[in-house]
Amino acid sequence: MRKFLVLSMILITFLAFAQPKLVIWCSEKQVDILQRLGEEFKARYGVMVEVQYVNFPDIKPKFLTAAPEGQGADIIVGAHDWVGELVANGLLEPIPSFAERNQFFDSGLSAFSYGGRLYGLPYALEAIALIYNKDYVSKPPKTVEEMIKIARQIDVEFGRGVRGLVFPVTTFYYAVPFIFGYGGYVFKDTPTGLNVKDIGLANEGAIKGARLIKRFVDEKIVDPADNYQIMDSMFKEGKAAMIINGPWAIKDYRDAGIDYGVALIPDMEPGLVAKPFVGVQGFMVNSKSPNKLLALEFLTNFIAKRDTMYRLYLADPRLPARKDVLELVKDNPDVVAFTLSAGNGIPMPNVPQMGFVWGAMDDALNLIVNGKATPEEAMKNAVERIKAQIQ
Amino acid sequence: MHGFGKLLGLFFVGLLNVFFFWIAFFLFGNAYYALGTLFIVLVMLIDFFIFNPRGYPYRYVAPALVLLTVLVIYPIYFTIKTAFTNYGTGHYMSKEEAIERLLYDPVYTYQVENDSVEYKVFVAYDGFTASHDDFLILFKIDGELFVGEKPSPVKRKGKDVLLSEAQLTLVKGSAYQLVPQSNELAQIRMILLGEKTYKAFYSPREEFLKVNEPTFKSRIGQIHLHRSDYVHPSGNKYALRMDRTGEWSFVRIERLYRLDLLQTAEDGKPKTKVVVVNNRTNRPLIEKEGSFYDVNENGEEVYLIGYIDFVGWKNFSRVLKDPRIAGPFLKIFAWTFVWAVLSVIVSLAVGLPFALVLNDPKLKGRNIYRTLLIVPWAIPVFISALVWRNGLLNESYGVINKFLLPALGLPALRWMNDPFWARVGVILVNVWLTYPYMMTISLGALQGIPYELYEAAMIDGAGKFKRFWNITFPLLMTVIAPLLVSSFAFSFNNFTIIYLITGGGPPIPGSTTPTGYTDILISYVYKLAFQAGTGQDFGLAAAISILIFFLVGGISYFNFRFSGVFEEVGK
Repeated sequence: MRKFLVLSMILITFLAFAQPKLVIWCSEKQVDILQRLGEEFKARYGVMVEVQYVNFPDIKPKFLTAAPEGQGADIIVGAHDWVGELVANGLLEPIPSFAERNQFFDSGLSAFSYGGRLYGLPYALEAIALIYNKDYVSKPPKTVEEMIKIARQIDVEFGRGVRGLVFPVTTFYYAVPFIFGYGGYVFKDTPTGLNVKDIGLANEGAIKGARLIKRFVDEKIVDPADNYQIMDSMFKEGKAAMIINGPWAIKDYRDAGIDYGVALIPDMEPGLVAKPFVGVQGFMVNSKSPNKLLALEFLTNFIAKRDTMYRLYLADPRLPARKDVLELVKDNPDVVAFTLSAGNGIPMPNVPQMGFVWGAMDDALNLIVNGKATPEEAMKNAVERIKAQIQ
Repeated sequence: MHGFGKLLGLFFVGLLNVFFFWIAFFLFGNAYYALGTLFIVLVMLIDFFIFNPRGYPYRYVAPALVLLTVLVIYPIYFTIKTAFTNYGTGHYMSKEEAIERLLYDPVYTYQVENDSVEYKVFVAYDGFTASHDDFLILFKIDGELFVGEKPSPVKRKGKDVLLSEAQLTLVKGSAYQLVPQSNELAQIRMILLGEKTYKAFYSPREEFLKVNEPTFKSRIGQIHLHRSDYVHPSGNKYALRMDRTGEWSFVRIERLYRLDLLQTAEDGKPKTKVVVVNNRTNRPLIEKEGSFYDVNENGEEVYLIGYIDFVGWKNFSRVLKDPRIAGPFLKIFAWTFVWAVLSVIVSLAVGLPFALVLNDPKLKGRNIYRTLLIVPWAIPVFISALVWRNGLLNESYGVINKFLLPALGLPALRWMNDPFWARVGVILVNVWLTYPYMMTISLGALQGIPYELYEAAMIDGAGKFKRFWNITFPLLMTVIAPLLVSSFAFSFNNFTIIYLITGGGPPIPGSTTPTGYTDILISYVYKLAFQAGTGQDFGLAAAISILIFFLVGGISYFNFRFSGVFEEVGK
């Protein structure tokens, strides 16, 4: 059936085939700007650039289905943690080093590196931070204790109308700052890459973090039923005072007319900082694309330039991956706050083994907040499960 | 008139033949041999049915046959084939393709000399415009000038060109005439070859030719030089690569891997094996579990590329032997069974009374009631499932927990996080979605029960209850039992409901795989094969799907056997 579908796709592309054309798959935020950049590229190179909008979570699965059959986009815009899986399948083309490589933040380049080769051109970093509504919170909390205090005050003051703190507590990604803050880690970072045999999710620090999360729930600061949609819509409606979210959500909050501020996720204890996951967005090249050379040219001699990167930033304001672009946007307090948060963070592992971690940790957090297992049990068990699956 | 119709028919058959042959040749051209053969066989069968009198009875089933083959039999064949392979993350291409990649892909080359060679591109003009399909490249290698023509393919696969090559010709003493005659590339403006003139078009070192750089890259570099080698008379190869500054230049390259024959002794007999050898270390690549590994300077194995390999019964034995999969398998199987049985029985228990009431001729406005009762069936499952999950069953904001239960003075239920209530929740949703079906089939079956039976029973003095149990129910069951069996099979595999309502959760503590209390076999398979770990595992998913097919098939078979349904219906 799959082959049949692919066959009909081949027929269609066969009929439309004429000359090189670059196809880019990206998510909503980049469509317009890439289309404009594509037209400029066309004016210079005479090569059509077709930008196709694909839902962000669908890009990788769609690419995995299409690319092995010689179909699919020449360039995809995605997250650095796809790299491991895509490289293992032989679907990504390494990017040769290019002229202004040293202008990029090392964290972005290393996040896209795998086995010593660069597989993506980073354009934006991202990390979550504390976002607060200035109507309810005048000064963002500096420590977790302060945050609990403020959240409780607001809960009491507004009854059920406004919640003090909302975040998806059973989603590992959002719980990570607290787990890493006390010294937990996913895979040990060694000079030769990540050691997937050394898992730090059941060490003393990680368990301490898990206990803190349990405390949030026990003291009814956070509701275990909260999920991303609830958090997002409550903040947009002005019904949440503090949330933990990433730079991607900011535009919506501004559009919704919320007087928001961005701050670091509070310290566990004074001096013990919260460490979120750092994600990197970037451009990757399909290794089976017939237009590899042009695609690489488009990335390294066009997209990677300072001006283009700045325009990408303006279209989709995330933390820029080029140092000189960050200089240009210093007056934006949101970007500075998120960048500081990313500065504290840990890059999300890009090894395929990370796939085991998400499910195991979401389940562990679920069991913890529902009192089905103690933090020690749940975290130890999750690590066992990850280890058993990695083998 | 009759003759015209026949002609028209022949015309369409001809059209169909052309179309199918075109598809088949297209598929062959793109190296899909199995599917291409299938299309040829199909078109020949169709022709046989139409033109051979003995095939006459089949000609009307021909369209169905085509669809059956392409949409049912081919996928089944593909599933079975996949179940015996390691198809999944890391193993996405055939071995042939993996080796082709290693041998021909520009990534698997290395630069022999650090310096790039000087080059200048010349194109022929037709009138005023450059024709990018006719070009020469002038190279300066070790002080001598060489001309390379447009490379031509030497290795193809289907329509794809794996490798192109062009020989370099020493300009001295060849038919090429340089204008002006010079040894400096920058001086040369034209190359003459017989009647043809090639004019200077691009050089990375000449400012005023740089305007043509984008055109050179997109029209010549990308299209003709992308997988091409220029071969020096000495055998050295030069190819276009991007250098450290992003400049496109020609460098001397060597392929990292080559094919070689290796003499091995197996069971005392000498055997010749084809191996891929690293040109730099002269060591053959290690091949294990469907992947190629190279050995680096430190003696570490480095994963290179994986391919789809036949693994025999491994995927099936994994299901039975691997404790990570086999452990929860039985637990989940038991729940799947309970889930399917309860879904059928409870929804029948809800649907049947409605049908009995609606069947009563004394009831006024039956059509309105019937329409209203069928509504749950008419709304797409995806919508109603999400409404149930977020609107009704949500633990904090759902209608049931927020309004309904407090109004009754009951504590809130933990629909998503308590194993028992999560199971009750999914059954509740499924019953809501399937009772209209049960009601409809019961209504249909009730129409078929002769009224005289009831009259006779009434004369004998049987009460309403007795009439139901002794007449309605048994006669009803003979008609709807086969439908119940298929409904059971459907529930058994009803992935959508589970996935949309609970996603299989809440998790079972202590399990080493992503397993939840409401996971049924098919959702468990999905999680194992696509969510559990390092990506996707189509081989395992196919194997478990086949097992599920036999499970469902077996259960349905025994259901039919022991309920004696076939015999009853047969009468």
